[in-house]
Amino acid sequence: MKWIKVLLVAVICLSIAVIAAVTSEQVGASQSVRKTIRIAMIAKSSTNPVFLSSKIGAEAAAKDLSAKNGINVVINWMTPPTEDGQVQAQRIAQAVNEGAQAILVSCSDAAKVTGAINDAVARGVPVMTFDSDAPASKRFAYYGVDDLETGQRVMVELAKLMNGKGKIAILAGNQNAPNLQKRVEGARKEAAKSPGIKIVNTFYHTETPQDAAAKVLEAMKAYPEIDGWAMIGGWALFTKTLLTDLDPKKVKVVSVDALPVELSYVDKGIVPVLLAQSTYLWGYVSVEKIIDRVHLNKAVPQINKMELVPVTKSTLGKWARQLRDWGFTDVPAEYLKLP
Amino acid sequence: MQKFIRALFGRQQSGLVLVIVILGGILTLFAGSHPDPETGLAVNNFLNSYTLMQTATNASFIAIMAVGATMIIISGRIDLSVGSIYALSGVAMAIALRAMAPLGSLAAISSGLLVCLGIGLLCGLLNGLMVVGLRVHPFIITLGTMWILRGIAFVISKAESILVPDPLTDFAKSTIGLKPGLYPVPLIVMMAVTVVGMVYLAKTVAGRHIYAVGGNMEASRYSGLRIGGILIGVYMISGLTAGIAAFVGSAYYGSAACADATGYELYVIAAAVVGGASLSGGKGNAINATLGAVLIVLIRQSVSTLRLDQNYEWIIIGGAIIVAVVLDQINSRLAARRGRTI
Repeated sequence: MKWIKVLLVAVICLSIAVIAAVTSEQVGASQSVRKTIRIAMIAKSSTNPVFLSSKIGAEAAAKDLSAKNGINVVINWMTPPTEDGQVQAQRIAQAVNEGAQAILVSCSDAAKVTGAINDAVARGVPVMTFDSDAPASKRFAYYGVDDLETGQRVMVELAKLMNGKGKIAILAGNQNAPNLQKRVEGARKEAAKSPGIKIVNTFYHTETPQDAAAKVLEAMKAYPEIDGWAMIGGWALFTKTLLTDLDPKKVKVVSVDALPVELSYVDKGIVPVLLAQSTYLWGYVSVEKIIDRVHLNKAVPQINKMELVPVTKSTLGKWARQLRDWGFTDVPAEYLKLP
Repeated sequence: MQKFIRALFGRQQSGLVLVIVILGGILTLFAGSHPDPETGLAVNNFLNSYTLMQTATNASFIAIMAVGATMIIISGRIDLSVGSIYALSGVAMAIALRAMAPLGSLAAISSGLLVCLGIGLLCGLLNGLMVVGLRVHPFIITLGTMWILRGIAFVISKAESILVPDPLTDFAKSTIGLKPGLYPVPLIVMMAVTVVGMVYLAKTVAGRHIYAVGGNMEASRYSGLRIGGILIGVYMISGLTAGIAAFVGSAYYGSAACADATGYELYVIAAAVVGGASLSGGKGNAINATLGAVLIVLIRQSVSTLRLDQNYEWIIIGGAIIVAVVLDQINSRLAARRGRTI
């Protein structure tokens, strides 16, 4: 029976080898004698759709810049399945060890990855951050929204919808993400300016759509007085649950992010304003900046600010077409036809 | 090859080591290479000192906890709270050191270590007392403490990621004379914990008692063993190893947060089981748990090293764990059959 054990080991190894060979062939086929620039991209979580769109953007930029500059830009997606700063730090080290020429990271926990970023820079690999920064690290640039301003903007829009009075809740995502902490701070600061607005609570949750939606519903049961939601991330709107479970006559919602799945919330008036982060551009612009720095030796500003795009009923069609042009395949057809 | 490995590691470990060596070989063959920035020479993406050290470092935090978890599993129990003990120990240490600042290097390191070990032991004691005293299944007790302890870490840290003082990071990232960028301290701690765990289980009376309790609790009771004391002891050891891992991990990464080691309990249990520990008790050892952790980390790492689609990571890890355990069971059955034949 010893042969069974040997056979099983052989089968596993052979399977991995075949997959590796096929993948290597694919990589090899795309590589020519042109200079290859390998960028390791480490977002917060591969199960979060906003980061999948940033990956699409990075790959599109890699393709465009390869053609434009006569080089071969390759994106190595090394994002962990769930948010974990420690695993991100490990993957930064792994990317350096495997010869990445640059690293692009959205930090789940800035303190946790700062050491790894500094180690990478010390070993000659430039690091850029997007979406969630590690300001104390030696990264050469950051691209993303100003999080404090984003939080403030959410609250400004919500206060407008609520005519400056009401009881609101903040949906805040992962409590360890520094960018989200800043947005919460911004929202609170702005709310303090409106005497009629009272924050009943801030709700943290695992950053999955179902967890977020469940947290909203749970909060509505616990605090029936809530008549406004400041969502500093769009997680809860990646499900359809709240389309039926929130009453737009009673509750007003303003949320960051505007992915295809969220557009029906604007259409049905449940979320009158979405503040879109151009998540596709996280990848696209960041890769451009990295190539500017690594290949073209251009100076790149340390802070590269992304502007929020308000998506309302009147701009729904335009935004839907923008998402389609960025490669999103799940944009509802009815919105593409809107003016 | 197998004979050589068997001579080095013994029959129990040879299968695991062989799989690790084969996987390492595949990674070396297919990982590709990159030019060294200093010399310009081609460097294999996997078979280089930095990657091997990083793999050992990544495995160390899981392996250290797996040694303690293996003892629990040998006793026929389970501990789902090790990830939370890790988080609470790390956060408590960071808060304590922040409150005590400024401290000299030695004082900071020793105080940090003491806090982590103390919190780990205390949590283990709490688990052990509840498992023995309340007579509720350890799965339920440790499921409860998993949430309670992480909740305490959340409350006391106010959800902040708290920086630990530099001397701790300097210690955990000391090169000890190796090239810059090579940090062997987590590897050394992992090896030390494994050796101590191995000796404790195999060479001490207390260690043999754990096997006895897990192998046949009734027989152990009639033999006069103090089952409750033994169980409290193994939970304290499990808490202690989680505290050690928290100290090394928080010092190495430079911060501690309440979300640290979320989900690691499953990696830890998987490492012990892949290492041959039986969930029904009475079987397992420390070195196999460490090898199990190395194998799991290697499989996880291979997904990116071989440039496989990251979306398949969980499927690959889950599948590999099942295959590894099935292989081990086949191996055990064959060994038992050979024993009967002889």
